[in-house]
Amino acid sequence: MTDGPTDTIVSVKDLEVEFPTSLGVVRALNGVNFDIPRGKVIGIVGESGCGKSVTARAIMQIIERPGRITGGSIEFHRKGSEAAADELLSEPEDKDAATRSGGVDIAKLDPNSRGMRAIRGAEIAMIFQEPMTSLNPVYTVGSQIEEAILLHQTDDKQQAKAQAVDMLRQVGMPNPERIATSYPHELSGGMRQRAMIAMALSCHPALLIADEPTTALDVTTEAQILSLMRDLKSEIGMSIMFITHSMGVVAQLCDEVIVMYLGRVVERASVDEIFYNPKHPYTRSLLRSIPRIGAQRQEKLEVIKGSIPDPYTRLPGCTFHPRCPDYMDGVCNTIIPAETLLAGPTLHTVRCHLYSDNNEGEPDPLATEGASAGGQATDQADKQPAAASALKA
Amino acid sequence: MTQTTTEQATDISDQGQGTPESAEHKPLLEVTDLKKHFPIRGGLLRREIGTVKAVDGVNLSVNRGETLAIVGESGCGKSTTGRAILRLEEPTGGEIVFHDSELGAVNVESADRQTMARIRPKMQIIFQDPFASLDSRMTVGRVIAEPLVINKVLQGKALRDRVAELLVEVGLRPEHASRYPHAFSGGQRQRIGIARAIALNPDLIVCDEPVSALDVSVQAQVINLMEDLQSRLGLTYMFISHDLSVVEHISDRVAVMYVGRVVEIGTTADLFYNPKHPYTEALLQAVPQPDPRNRLEVVPLKGDVPSPASPPSGCYFHTRCPYAQPICSEETPPLREVKVDGKATGHQAACHFSDELKLKGAVVSSIETVPQTASASQAAGAPSA
Repeated sequence: MTDGPTDTIVSVKDLEVEFPTSLGVVRALNGVNFDIPRGKVIGIVGESGCGKSVTARAIMQIIERPGRITGGSIEFHRKGSEAAADELLSEPEDKDAATRSGGVDIAKLDPNSRGMRAIRGAEIAMIFQEPMTSLNPVYTVGSQIEEAILLHQTDDKQQAKAQAVDMLRQVGMPNPERIATSYPHELSGGMRQRAMIAMALSCHPALLIADEPTTALDVTTEAQILSLMRDLKSEIGMSIMFITHSMGVVAQLCDEVIVMYLGRVVERASVDEIFYNPKHPYTRSLLRSIPRIGAQRQEKLEVIKGSIPDPYTRLPGCTFHPRCPDYMDGVCNTIIPAETLLAGPTLHTVRCHLYSDNNEGEPDPLATEGASAGGQATDQADKQPAAASALKA
Repeated sequence: MTQTTTEQATDISDQGQGTPESAEHKPLLEVTDLKKHFPIRGGLLRREIGTVKAVDGVNLSVNRGETLAIVGESGCGKSTTGRAILRLEEPTGGEIVFHDSELGAVNVESADRQTMARIRPKMQIIFQDPFASLDSRMTVGRVIAEPLVINKVLQGKALRDRVAELLVEVGLRPEHASRYPHAFSGGQRQRIGIARAIALNPDLIVCDEPVSALDVSVQAQVINLMEDLQSRLGLTYMFISHDLSVVEHISDRVAVMYVGRVVEIGTTADLFYNPKHPYTEALLQAVPQPDPRNRLEVVPLKGDVPSPASPPSGCYFHTRCPYAQPICSEETPPLREVKVDGKATGHQAACHFSDELKLKGAVVSSIETVPQTASASQAAGAPSA
């Protein structure tokens, strides 16, 4: 799928994340594969519990305990030279995270290691859904941006201050000098999100991870933030990994799209392919269930039958099979579909038995031990909200 | 201020509540000059130092059996309007006339306790957050039975039967009555909230962002359920939402609010494809289209919503309006009828230039439909079960 390591900034392979709880293990990610190309906006869509936020947190190594990465790799390639990896991994205990292609395997780094701290914030930055909870209410906006600059870039306080004001100007804040001395509660939702973006970009990261940054905002403010991110991407030349549940936002901003369902990537393609030539039954169903302006309004909306199974249920075969309109008995409920690259000029991959030639994929051991689990799962409510929120986080 | 609101009020009563009245389109609810002001207190003595005019002279009517949507940005007063109509917030002023089949026209705003007790069952509400609106210590059965118990409608076996019937009505199972809310997903909880709202056979249901907290696939299920119940039980909805694509799907008429006032109201088709207020135009343009070949090039609206504690002079929208003229900052435009060939249409807008401006309507997606299942050829190639 890759055109070589230089074109991808982060390459995620077979990533697995588990949350051991007293009620059982929640497998938040079940072998996730994708690449983030340099200078592109990649969208990750899916419903709650699909693992989109966990993926982002795994890349930043900020998964909440007791969750941990149990398998796979997250290879990070810094801009330019191969010496970059050596620079980031100066400590001896971080050395084994270096990869053969000159990158850094984030999955091998300890969350508190020097190498990870050098990457987090400076090389990969993240913004969150709730700007009010991610900003510290007792410090001014300016001092919070300065903190990041002082940590990663310079020791000169005056310079950091000037740089912070400059960042605020760059994200389109009116009167940045005054905003720098304001506290978060004095700003509106849209302004707070701009301040968060300014903070994230203050160290010129190579990758910005945005976890539902516009979900709490009004459409008009959302349009402003999306336009700002588009401008900043071309100005700074960074990559953006944009996590959202809104198909509208994906269509407006992203270059490439990853669709996730229950801890697996089910489809990836260019944004045009996803909207005009969707292949996976889940992607189709999602697109059919959103109300579109101008569509025949008296008609009923399409629904995906059932609901998302609770996180403790482990479904054999393809995890979408109990809700799938194309369900094939004996195949979908027993064999985990492999990722298939579709023929054509674009790199469009889909994880569905409809498109695999000879049922390739691994037979699921679960299929034999708990054959009845699949049927019940559709109707099961989220029995444990605590675990559900752990998944969401 | 006072002058303009009286102007609006007379304007409205002259025009017959803004909708052509016919036999089947009788208004169920008429709201005139509704106000809800919150005091801002400060200083040592907690003296009133200002007011937030959350709702400031709202005029609208809801016809029996229809869905009226109220849209606007956060802080525009749409939820407060809904709550004030049910007197969950005590209105500061105005008239809320509810046309009851037994009691006739009742002014909810000034009704006494006895009248309110008789009117309340006819007006119910569904809340946004399905996780906060259900008491986690009550079984689902008790949650749904509560309105029936409080109003002494049913008891004993009849009550249990009614609860079971309501659960089935909203797509759940009778045995769910003994479970607690935490055992249900967001969509199922919203169904429980709906069952509670329809328990007393209400006429009007205020739906305050009922699907905003739900995942898309579940959102469609709940919208379909609400439409289904409306046609079967003859419900009237007041649908408060910020999601214009959901609003276009579900509503018959739409009211757009901005800083505590209605700036435009009309049928869904008129409002979406022939908007007469620049704010409506901006809202419609800002909807993120689920179509990558239809990307928004210009940001439709800059800046933030003004604070309802210190709104600007004249038309509240003039600070952000791309078409603003000097008169806009001086005079408040009343909500006026938009006339087509000299005839009233029921479409009203509060803009000085609504007749002159040529405003853009909603952008229609070029994606017609997405095929439901994989095409036959591909399916045939795959192994059959």
